[in-house]
Amino acid sequence: MNKLQGKDLINVGIFTALYFVVLMAIAMLGFIPIFLPLLIVLVPIVGGIVMMLYYSKIHCFGMLSLTGLITGILMLLTGMGYWSIATGLVFGVLADLVLKSGGYKSARKGVFSHGVFSMWLIGNYMPLVLTRNSYYQQLVTKNGQDYADAAMHYISAGSLPVLLIAGFICGCIGGVIGQKVFKKHFQRAGIA
Amino acid sequence: MRREFLASSGAGRGLILDPCTKLALLLVIAVFVLSGEGGAAAKQMAPLLALVPFGLIICERAWQAAGLYLALYGGSWVLQLVLMPRLDGAAAFVVLAICGFLLRFMPGIMMGYITVRTTTVSEFVAAMERLHLPAQIVIPMSVIFRFFPTVVEEARAINDAMRMRGIRFGGGRASAMLEYRLVPMLICCVKIGEELSAAALTRGLGGPVKRTNICEIGFRVQDGVALLLCVAAVAWPVAAFFMGR
Repeated sequence: MNKLQGKDLINVGIFTALYFVVLMAIAMLGFIPIFLPLLIVLVPIVGGIVMMLYYSKIHCFGMLSLTGLITGILMLLTGMGYWSIATGLVFGVLADLVLKSGGYKSARKGVFSHGVFSMWLIGNYMPLVLTRNSYYQQLVTKNGQDYADAAMHYISAGSLPVLLIAGFICGCIGGVIGQKVFKKHFQRAGIA
Repeated sequence: MRREFLASSGAGRGLILDPCTKLALLLVIAVFVLSGEGGAAAKQMAPLLALVPFGLIICERAWQAAGLYLALYGGSWVLQLVLMPRLDGAAAFVVLAICGFLLRFMPGIMMGYITVRTTTVSEFVAAMERLHLPAQIVIPMSVIFRFFPTVVEEARAINDAMRMRGIRFGGGRASAMLEYRLVPMLICCVKIGEELSAAALTRGLGGPVKRTNICEIGFRVQDGVALLLCVAAVAWPVAAFFMGR
């Protein structure tokens, strides 16, 4: 079985929805400025639990790419900007490739793949760096002067690589945690 | 309109819009009102765009939602107008921040609510197929639309159960809190998802042949008007951008 089938596509939908709900719940914290840079730490760690369960159902190429792309589209629809569509697709495909190299079974490759996948979150920070001035104006009208200043203070123009690496490392940590939870709960409950 | 197995709910049909039109409206509101793209021009037309979901919800005859929306959006709009010129002290600042938040989020939430409420999954799939999107996008997207309310409902039920057991945020280790909530929710949702997928496969979703559909979708006069509004909403900030140069 190495072609996407109806059941796989439905699984993509289900787990993307779950991942997105977790993402949104954490993103609500982003209204406190200090949590804004921390999102790239928290989302991969908590999201790892969802994703590791998802990984146990992946057995062909393309599912992670679709999850990345669709998460990006949902980010656009919920007003988080359009960068995530590109980053979601790129890192989704990369994560898919990593997983494929492990034959969709290797636990270590799964952790690594989640690290790569988590880097898509960088898309949320791109406007802060690439279109800094106009985004600052946007933040002022959106969330007020204080928030905009604080956000600019916490995320400097050169912090994109740091955030990218943080995303990868936290993705790996999240993957390890996710696999632990997976063994402790999901395997025992027999839903894997 | 018959209620279907996969339907999110086909309740109350007022003004019938094509699902594509609803998605276009949702996108326009998300981009210009929610994310605040488009600068000053977009800010001027935000109240106009906010009227669209209000009109639609009135047509739906969902009076409660309409009243709530009117109170929250209209209330914050008036408050902002009154408070903006005489800004003083922290209290006014907090009020303004809350108003700004509501002004930004309410139209998007309302439009999303209308879209989910008035579109059955079959209609959504039919519309997406008419746009010639590949099945790889259509099926996951329709499952997500169908599944979001379920996830939220399950999360709420588990939240209640955990509160009854005295497990709440703020007391004790955060990781345990997370585990006690997330794990049951995932198990519930995966089970529901399996049933959903069995039901959908029975109905031929993802099969090798083209599915037929009895939903009557298509563009009508009101779709034309709504799409014209979308085009205008895009054209205005673009024009303002170039004129400003």
